[in-house]
Amino acid sequence: MAGEVPGMRILIMGCGRVGAGLATQLANEGHDVTVLDTDAFAFRRLLPTFAGHRLVGSGTDDRSLVEARIAETDCFIALASGDNRNILASQKAKEIYGVKTVVTRVRDPLRSEMFGRLGLRTFSPTKVGVTLAHDAIFQGA
Amino acid sequence: MYIIIVGGGAVGHGLALELQQMPDHEVAIVELSGSRAGQLRSELGEMVVHGDGSEIAFLERVGAGRADLLLAVTADDGANLVTCQVAKHWFNIKRTIARVNDSRNEALFLRLGVDSIVSAAGAVMAQIEASLPEHTIIPLMALEGSRLHVVDIRVQAGSPAVGRPLREMQFPPEVLISVVIGKQGAVVPAGDTVLQVGDEVIAVIPRESDAIVREMIAGPTEVK
Repeated sequence: MAGEVPGMRILIMGCGRVGAGLATQLANEGHDVTVLDTDAFAFRRLLPTFAGHRLVGSGTDDRSLVEARIAETDCFIALASGDNRNILASQKAKEIYGVKTVVTRVRDPLRSEMFGRLGLRTFSPTKVGVTLAHDAIFQGA
Repeated sequence: MYIIIVGGGAVGHGLALELQQMPDHEVAIVELSGSRAGQLRSELGEMVVHGDGSEIAFLERVGAGRADLLLAVTADDGANLVTCQVAKHWFNIKRTIARVNDSRNEALFLRLGVDSIVSAAGAVMAQIEASLPEHTIIPLMALEGSRLHVVDIRVQAGSPAVGRPLREMQFPPEVLISVVIGKQGAVVPAGDTVLQVGDEVIAVIPRESDAIVREMIAGPTEVK
């Protein structure tokens, strides 16, 4: 992939620590960011100065996706807590709404691998976490 | 056949009871909640397994590799879709059936390779219909890969079909009146079958004929 394109329209599903952190970083880089979460309380993780949009709704629900203008979205990132919800929403973004870049967090390494093979850009924090923890044990040994 | 049912709610429980009656089938029913699994186990015994049916490692343990059919019938569309995709792509299970809770997900499920879908909304609508007489055509099931669907239509006063044999009705092409449920129970209709007010008609029809078939069987829609 080439370097990031400024001014991309980005939709993030899930405003947890990762979602909020990524939203902040992307907004700072000049992208048009919308964050979707089913719980308005989750938006506390965004600074009041956050330049993007906050939207209460579910990433698996077509109404919320349309409200978030999914059809004009360049990049959809699924970071909700449930693997299956992330996979459902991502496939919907890709297959139904034609979003070009779809990134999906899948905690279960096996499901991450399988849906990666089926064409989603998946990553498994579990797998990464195991590697990091393992490496930390032997650091400086 | 070895059949795996994922989801031990009302739908999964009902399916397990039915399938248990059929000889030569081995059935496993997977339930995520421990307490619900325990409850089911006391009634259905060994066939109940406690675990996450969308998890590959778990499905491996219940022998998904040799399953012939998997039914994903939880209340969670994400779980149902992912479970069917895992069944298909990881375990090569030949036939998968999913319950769709949000009817807007139907197209996506079929597109992603789920073999058949059952819409819970359709079933619930049939219940609601009893109290809302103006809702006279209820989609029960989409038939994959076609414009056809199975619908339930209630015959109402003022319907042009009342008192006339079915053979005299000029239905649009591809309309199949499959079952008539009346006072005498469910019957497969013949050309001389005459519909009565209050009868329920199960028909296979193309979607684009919904309005005209509704008008012909249920009668004109009331303007409120």
